[in-house]
Amino acid sequence: MDMLEISHISKSFGDREVLRDVNLTVPKHAIYGFVGQNGAGKTTTMKLILGLLPANQGEIWVNGEKVSFGQNRTNQYIGYLPDVPEFYTFMTPAEYLDFCGAITGMEPHDCRKRTKELLSLVGLSQEKHRIKGFSRGMKQRLGIAQALLNRPKLLICDEPTSALDPVGRKEILDILTAAREQTTVLFSTHILSDVERICEKFAFLHEGKILCQGSMEEMKKNCKGAGFQMELEHKKDVKKLLQRFPEGIQQGKYGVAYQQGTKCQIEEVLLWMLREQISFHSIEKCSITLESLFLEVVGK
Amino acid sequence: MRVWLAYWKKEWMELVRNGKLLILLLISGLFGLMNPALAKLTPWLMETMAESLQDTGLLVTGVTVDVMTSWTQFYKNMPMALIVVVLMLSGIFIQEYQKGTLILVLTKGLSRQKVYTVKTAVLLLMWFACFWLSFFITWIYNDIYWDNKTASHVVLAAALFCLFGVWVILFVVFFSVVFSEVSGILAGTGIVVVISYVLGIFPRLKNYVPTKLLSSQELLTHAAIPEDFGGAVVVTVLMMAAAGTAGMFLFARKSIK
Repeated sequence: MDMLEISHISKSFGDREVLRDVNLTVPKHAIYGFVGQNGAGKTTTMKLILGLLPANQGEIWVNGEKVSFGQNRTNQYIGYLPDVPEFYTFMTPAEYLDFCGAITGMEPHDCRKRTKELLSLVGLSQEKHRIKGFSRGMKQRLGIAQALLNRPKLLICDEPTSALDPVGRKEILDILTAAREQTTVLFSTHILSDVERICEKFAFLHEGKILCQGSMEEMKKNCKGAGFQMELEHKKDVKKLLQRFPEGIQQGKYGVAYQQGTKCQIEEVLLWMLREQISFHSIEKCSITLESLFLEVVGK
Repeated sequence: MRVWLAYWKKEWMELVRNGKLLILLLISGLFGLMNPALAKLTPWLMETMAESLQDTGLLVTGVTVDVMTSWTQFYKNMPMALIVVVLMLSGIFIQEYQKGTLILVLTKGLSRQKVYTVKTAVLLLMWFACFWLSFFITWIYNDIYWDNKTASHVVLAAALFCLFGVWVILFVVFFSVVFSEVSGILAGTGIVVVISYVLGIFPRLKNYVPTKLLSSQELLTHAAIPEDFGGAVVVTVLMMAAAGTAGMFLFARKSIK
């Protein structure tokens, strides 16, 4: 059974269609990247999973139970970290986690033990002040602690690293990687390097539609092909090559690059160059990166 | 119940730590003291002003005050106390929508029904605390300086006024679900009160509108009997039940962004 299943979800705000027939499946114990530009519909999707917004169409299932708008039964399986977590600032971190434990029905002694563990994990165990004066990074770390408090089966993180410095980002990604042992993580972001680092599967959301989803290997198979670039010996050959294969882009005086997704294959170009006796300094096949894949699927 | 109490504890902690509880209790205490104090000071005030009033042709002679003067002052001050409670606590839902603090709480599985009932209970408790604190301070001083027994139905009259406050607060809660701005809540509640006033102008309706409860002090002087308020109490309770139920229904379906 999958931990999360989104089936044919559509959502509009007035005339603006934010999500269009979104289908997504997240298996258990996966770290699943939900990739998209700002405004692609990632946060809306997450709020639909949490039952905070009503969907116009479709169904969402969490741990085999259907999500209903306004009812929070399925949220007992979920830990949620919003992009900007907001807390009751008149409380201290320990008080806030105690409060969260109590409203999720945790036993007081278990809650105290877990609070201690998690505050230590996120580096806030020495923090006795109220949340009011906390920095963005500290709030994000406390956000992770509250999300993991009741050992959720599904951890939903909405752009948890977007506003953090490199050290803060590394800390958060390390915590999420460690959390994988106990939970399934759905992690939305527009920072592709973060996804490459910790997610084994991901989906690309663009203008409210899932363009593709799967593992990096599966994505590479479906990719039109990696790009390649070469450095020729003579300037005149550059012109000749570009006349024969016009999709290339001249780089400097002797360089030509064929970007990922190009129609011409490296083998075809090489055969033609041998026939035409065009000499070169180097030919390099570019590796497929998440960024290049993303740009290919969104058509840029 | 444990979950309900945990959320209640959070609301209580907020009221204590942001100082609103202390401010409201101080204001209520002050209102309570002001009623007998003003009544007691009235003869002296009139005496000091007598000379200047004489110049304008007004003659001040033998000003007498009694327990009714103090209770009249109480019923003049209590609408102000209700306004203070409403103004200070009307953001109890809105602040959570605007800051986004409710999102984490709801995503932890806390039911919206519990959020709604706890917040309503906190508002009502604060109104009860403020109203009855003011009432008891006035009552004690009235008993010391005069005699409360000369006024009839003292507690019933106060309870009817308090019921009017509960009616107002349930509409504040209802409009807190409908609107996402404090101005909307205040305007909505204000309009409901004004409609009740306007309907009260018609002789056939005047005994059936919630604003009738504002004249409960007539019981003190036998200008009215308890039965005169029966219709208004029934209508007020029915409206309270309708506002409370509709508010809970709408809150369960409110989009939290």
